[in-house]
Amino acid sequence: MDGRSALEGIRILDFTWVLAGPYATRILADFGAEVIKVQPLTGGEEINGYTKGYYDTWNRNKLGVALDLNKPQGIEIAKRLIQASDVVVENFSPRVMANWGLDYDSLKLIKPDIIMVSLSALGQTGPWRDYVGFGPTIQAFSGITQLTTIPGHPPLGLGYSYADHVGGLFAVIAILEALEHRRCSGEGQYIDISQLEAMCSLLDTALLDYLVNSRVASPVGNHSSQAAPHGVYRCRGGDRWCAIAVFTDEEWQAFCEVLGNPSWTREERFATVAERLRNVAELDQLVAEWTKQRTAEEVMTLLQRVGVAVGVVQDARDVAKDPQLRERGFFIGEGETRMDGTPIKLSATSARFDRPAPALGQDTDYVLRQLLGISEEEIARYREEGIIKGSAQLGGPGWHLGQK
Amino acid sequence: MSGYRILDVADEKGMLCSKLLADLGADVIKIEKPGGDSSRNIAPFLNDVPHPNRSLCFWYYNTNKRGITLNLEIGPGRELFQRLVAKADVLLETYPPGYLEKLGLGYSTLCETNPELVMASITNFGQFGPYRDYKSSDIVASALGGAMSVCGDIATSPLKPFGSQAYHTASLFAAVGILLALWNRHFSGKGQHIDISLQECVAATLDHVLVHYFHEQAIAQRQGGLHWSGAFRVFPAKDGYILLSLFQQWETLVEWLDSEGMAEDLKEAKWQDPETRRQGLDHVVEVLERWTKIHTVAELVEQGQLMRFPWAEVASIPRLVASPQLRERGFFVAVEHPELEIRYRYPGAPYHFSSSQWRISRRAPLLGEHNREIYEQELGLYSEELARLEQAGVI
Repeated sequence: MDGRSALEGIRILDFTWVLAGPYATRILADFGAEVIKVQPLTGGEEINGYTKGYYDTWNRNKLGVALDLNKPQGIEIAKRLIQASDVVVENFSPRVMANWGLDYDSLKLIKPDIIMVSLSALGQTGPWRDYVGFGPTIQAFSGITQLTTIPGHPPLGLGYSYADHVGGLFAVIAILEALEHRRCSGEGQYIDISQLEAMCSLLDTALLDYLVNSRVASPVGNHSSQAAPHGVYRCRGGDRWCAIAVFTDEEWQAFCEVLGNPSWTREERFATVAERLRNVAELDQLVAEWTKQRTAEEVMTLLQRVGVAVGVVQDARDVAKDPQLRERGFFIGEGETRMDGTPIKLSATSARFDRPAPALGQDTDYVLRQLLGISEEEIARYREEGIIKGSAQLGGPGWHLGQK
Repeated sequence: MSGYRILDVADEKGMLCSKLLADLGADVIKIEKPGGDSSRNIAPFLNDVPHPNRSLCFWYYNTNKRGITLNLEIGPGRELFQRLVAKADVLLETYPPGYLEKLGLGYSTLCETNPELVMASITNFGQFGPYRDYKSSDIVASALGGAMSVCGDIATSPLKPFGSQAYHTASLFAAVGILLALWNRHFSGKGQHIDISLQECVAATLDHVLVHYFHEQAIAQRQGGLHWSGAFRVFPAKDGYILLSLFQQWETLVEWLDSEGMAEDLKEAKWQDPETRRQGLDHVVEVLERWTKIHTVAELVEQGQLMRFPWAEVASIPRLVASPQLRERGFFVAVEHPELEIRYRYPGAPYHFSSSQWRISRRAPLLGEHNREIYEQELGLYSEELARLEQAGVI
């Protein structure tokens, strides 16, 4: 594909690590922003065998510059990079950037219209600002862990770090809003994102029901107040399950027909959604009697054919082989380099996957020379003095740094 | 986002998307079918009295939007719709693929009227592919996208994350797509079509579950309160539940337990090896559980966080609302409901901007609240015409 990328010409200086921050900057990079990842000289995730796969997945399409920020010359180079950038993103704990003299007030002095985003667990202010948090920590504070369980059971929570994706997505929206704002007003700005507050926006009406009606939300398991059957049902062949959701009367009729209209489906206690919800425990049992005689795939095919919402509870391997995801090109790469592409399908400016995650300091020389106009001799000196790390190799194939 | 107009014909899948943009200042016009959007019937209701204007679900997801009614299934309705599209920057829709084309309102047709139009479609499985016409819902998307395989107890069943998280992630990705397309439009002068699939959005937000599969061929399992990676787990405390990390600062943790005489055999050197701990996780958990049970949640979280452990209270909603962190940051905001002569506190901004504005300046629209304002003032219809359209079931 040729033509313009959506974010062509936008340069992001990326101080993020782990998941939430890199996930945000990956989205920007996929759509054409030039993301320069600042890496510590000693390397981090990129050289640790345990995290290498993660690093490779969340840092594709980015350039890698290895810089020692604990040396004044390292900070000097960082500041020159900031002057050449539109956006700075970081997800350290609060104070880290300030300790380097790279807080927003300092950045504003050297680049007045800079956009800076700080993504942290609980925000840059408040009594808990210094709390340490990863996805599961944030989920626990947010209430979603307490609410994710079967009624009457101890809290289980989500078994994965959802809050990091949420934080990353909110950060992308904030950055794109700030770019629009800068375009209209000429102003840059500082954006403080608390991953906890981002999660608090995704609790359905649990918060509003408490604030308005004083009702305390409680776990609902897989049930819904609008549909029955609504849940997962064990199918044939070990730990295999299908999710089924029957909302309307029409869907219920179609569902019963596929089951062969056994007499229980005609009983008064299952006649309407309200009745089915009242007798949901018995209903679930009867549905499970039917599903357990069939494979999950069979259940899905039989019920989807008549317009009932049903899907196999897919694990990682199922998802990797899913025919729908395949047909839509959701995964990119092969073997070891296989990974998710993007769920954002744009008709005119689709995502590009040009470049694997950078090796440590892979683009240091190139960025310093091309972008900052630093001479080869100076670069060599920085390297000798242990301020930067990088290969002498210039650039990557098909990758151009625009001049600002 | 002020200056952008968004037409919103989305159902629950996209409600959050247009709220995100409306709360950032976009002019969002929510188009409901005459009689009202079905989300107006979703509980809970104000004081538990069901009414189309009292659904808290509708309230929460429709802040700052203006609301009109319009029937797209009849000719005069479609004509009005086309006129609205001509003045809009974005159309957000969640109809089954092909539905708008069938009405003569597909992207290519609307583009003829308005080549700058950005159209975002959030659907169950996307605009193409073998499952294109399949039905879905939040739980079905969570199942097929992989999320439910890593939630829930192994002894019971896979579990759906609380809340409409498949709809939420789809809305977040759609909002990003819309902003990207609007940005690109500054340079290209043209709109584009955005195709968002619920299933893909779930599969795109699974932490390292897929990475782990592609790199180690290992399939993550649901393991109750234990994170799929084994790195975090929910523990019972004296007065509630707490989330602990199991692999960070191991020696510090053992010293802490030991200072209370509760480290048992975890003091042995062999446990310093993370792999040994992984293999003997059940035992590690047992010892830790004996310790957490004699402490309160607050003791452990406060002390733990001082020592840089990423621990947290497994908070209930009232605890969350009472948290000093949210209070001090002013997370909750007051929203005026003039017709009820009352203000309610709402969940507030997910981001704090120093220059851009995030605010709720208007509660969700009452049914058909802005029909007059939009049809008369903006489209120039006479009030007699409006009455006639209403009688004919167009609005």
